[in-house]
Amino acid sequence: MSFAARFGASFRREAAFLARSPWDLALLTWLPLVLCALIAWQLSAGVIRDLPVALVDTERSALSRDIAIRIEGAPGMRLAYTVPDMRAAESLARSGAVEAIVLVPPEATQRALEGRGQITLYVNAAHSAASSTIQRDMAAIIAAANARAAVEQIAAISPPGKVRPAPLAVRSLIAFNAPASQEQQLVSLLHPALLHLLFMLAVVSAFGRELRDATVAEWRPDGASIAGKAALYVLAFMVWGAGVTAYLAGFRGWALAGGPALLMTGYLAMFAAYAGVSLLLVGITRRMSQSLSLTGLYAGASFAFAGAIFPVDQASGFAKFWAEILPFTHFARLLALDWITGAPTNVAAAPLVPLGLITLVTAVPGAWLYLRASQRPEDWGKR
Amino acid sequence: MWAAFRAVFAAIFADRAAALLLLGAPILYAVLYPSAYSGEIVIDAPVVVVDLDRSAASRDLVRRAAATSQVRLVAALASPQEAQEWLASDQASAAIIIPEGYSRAIAQGRSGNVMLVGSGAHLLRSSTALTGIGAALASTAREAAFEQARAAGPAAPPALQLVTRALFNTREGYGAAVFPGVAFVIVHQSLLLGLTLLAATAREKLGAPLRVTPAQFAGLGLAASTIAMVQVCWFAGLVFWWQDYPRAAAPVGQVLVGAALFVAATAALVLLLASLFRTRERPLQLGLAVSLPLFFLSGLTWPAAATPAPVLWLSRLFPTTPGLQVMVGLNQMGGTLADYAGALGNLAVLTAVFGGIALWRWTAPRRS
Repeated sequence: MSFAARFGASFRREAAFLARSPWDLALLTWLPLVLCALIAWQLSAGVIRDLPVALVDTERSALSRDIAIRIEGAPGMRLAYTVPDMRAAESLARSGAVEAIVLVPPEATQRALEGRGQITLYVNAAHSAASSTIQRDMAAIIAAANARAAVEQIAAISPPGKVRPAPLAVRSLIAFNAPASQEQQLVSLLHPALLHLLFMLAVVSAFGRELRDATVAEWRPDGASIAGKAALYVLAFMVWGAGVTAYLAGFRGWALAGGPALLMTGYLAMFAAYAGVSLLLVGITRRMSQSLSLTGLYAGASFAFAGAIFPVDQASGFAKFWAEILPFTHFARLLALDWITGAPTNVAAAPLVPLGLITLVTAVPGAWLYLRASQRPEDWGKR
Repeated sequence: MWAAFRAVFAAIFADRAAALLLLGAPILYAVLYPSAYSGEIVIDAPVVVVDLDRSAASRDLVRRAAATSQVRLVAALASPQEAQEWLASDQASAAIIIPEGYSRAIAQGRSGNVMLVGSGAHLLRSSTALTGIGAALASTAREAAFEQARAAGPAAPPALQLVTRALFNTREGYGAAVFPGVAFVIVHQSLLLGLTLLAATAREKLGAPLRVTPAQFAGLGLAASTIAMVQVCWFAGLVFWWQDYPRAAAPVGQVLVGAALFVAATAALVLLLASLFRTRERPLQLGLAVSLPLFFLSGLTWPAAATPAPVLWLSRLFPTTPGLQVMVGLNQMGGTLADYAGALGNLAVLTAVFGGIALWRWTAPRRS
């Protein structure tokens, strides 16, 4: 038989198996759908609005009222409670009733007139998405309050001609994501993070199952049939990759700055790399349960190491190394460059090189080990 | 009861995959996970500068900005377009743009405007970096501008200054923010996958659903709870201390009560699911990918206020959601049990409901 014929035969054989086994089919059908839809739904608010905030008003002055009104007006915050002391506010924050505390300390007005007023914002750093929204809004509130104070109050008590604005104004803005929505950022990465783990579980199961059930005896694999079997899973998950991209870019309107062709090539290269790693794990352990456990260990924490949400630049050498050997890290780089910033194609396509390398160094020894195990009945049936 | 208790441990030590999940995973993840966040805070972010003013004042500002710890100046560019290209290709995480007329504005006693642009490619990362760089710029620039404009008389300092402090999490690092929550998802998943794998294996060997007496069921529940409690103590007692994360904010007794309820709800769910699987490998296939959604549903990273109500209700069906709230609250925020009455009640209900169904499934007489 030719390569194409054996490839096709293996592909059809796997499809026939999945048609008979609903729980194995679940890994490429409703499980990705449910998990991706849940994440998409939870984060669909995108821009975080109306986070509850407590104001500690120790002064009951025009200044504290002004700040209260500005908090009410800020897009990201809502004044949920006004309390007289920090103890009450901290208790609200602990129970999750408020996300942040704004403290107007005693004598704040007097100090402000002297030009050294201070408002303290307490945010819960564990809630990173919420705290960055609140910090941004609060900075704008204080800047606006200052602008008014400079005109109304200080001018009134200072000799004319002596007052001028602060010497430097820093305006911060975010390029490529003007509404500062975290939906695009998080969902665009969480979906492939889920898909690559499900893909690896499905492929490890597909190859591990043949050894476990000793069906390799009847299948008698070679390079072409290994490729044919993996191709079914690559195809199924490419459909999911296209689906989640269409959801976010089309339905939710986060248009791709670059092109869909490069992103899909990235998906293909990432799945090829994970197929190689899966084959290697099965080839080394020759046991389905152990290779599945190792899959969890290898691919379960990818999201933390990708460096897109939290920086890994400052992390230890080990973490950097671990991040580099995870295909997801390289895919996340490609995604940021192609989808969000719209870098030139030659720059955005650069992560394809490490993805190809990972595929090569895992798939070749993986296929060799797997084919060897497929010839040795003593390696079959292990649990 | 004790025979069933001992049988669980004997089965774990006899099964390499189960041992890896129940004993190996907590140890490996305790090392692996925090290493991803060992950077903690932003230092030396690569920044490009575009100086359109080309004056003594602007050069001085650039020099001062470069000297701050958050900033590593990687290039001085001629135009904002070039800066955008640097940001687009991810070679810089922020750009400082000093427009023309900066020095003139300061000399005339007006505000000199400076633009700080972060990259949308890394939103959370950028806002942290921008805040740090912005604060550093503002303070250094104030001095610079004062020196430049002394002749014009003192400038009005801003009447109000905003000071941002971290509530509870005083280190304000990524690891300290994320791992104390992730640890309990790891406990949940380790127990869920390890024990369902064992139960499915036993059922496969028996060829029929496992049936036990209520006393034996209690032994299984006790064994599951013991393993989970040891893991909780390992993370909350040893790993948080070793990584120097904020910890032990509440009295030990209260932490133990909260942990006991989380452990009970988790063990009840695990026993229920363990009665459903028929194939040894199936729980791993279907359960491993749930970890990431479980963590997001817990509301630690994404605020409950921004989560749709139906998702919020659904999230309360999993012990990790109220469990993380209670454990992070007691461990890191210094709350008391009274602050988390709702979440504790949620855990108690889950324990009763899951435990009840599990008891029925494990002890119901076998249909022939």
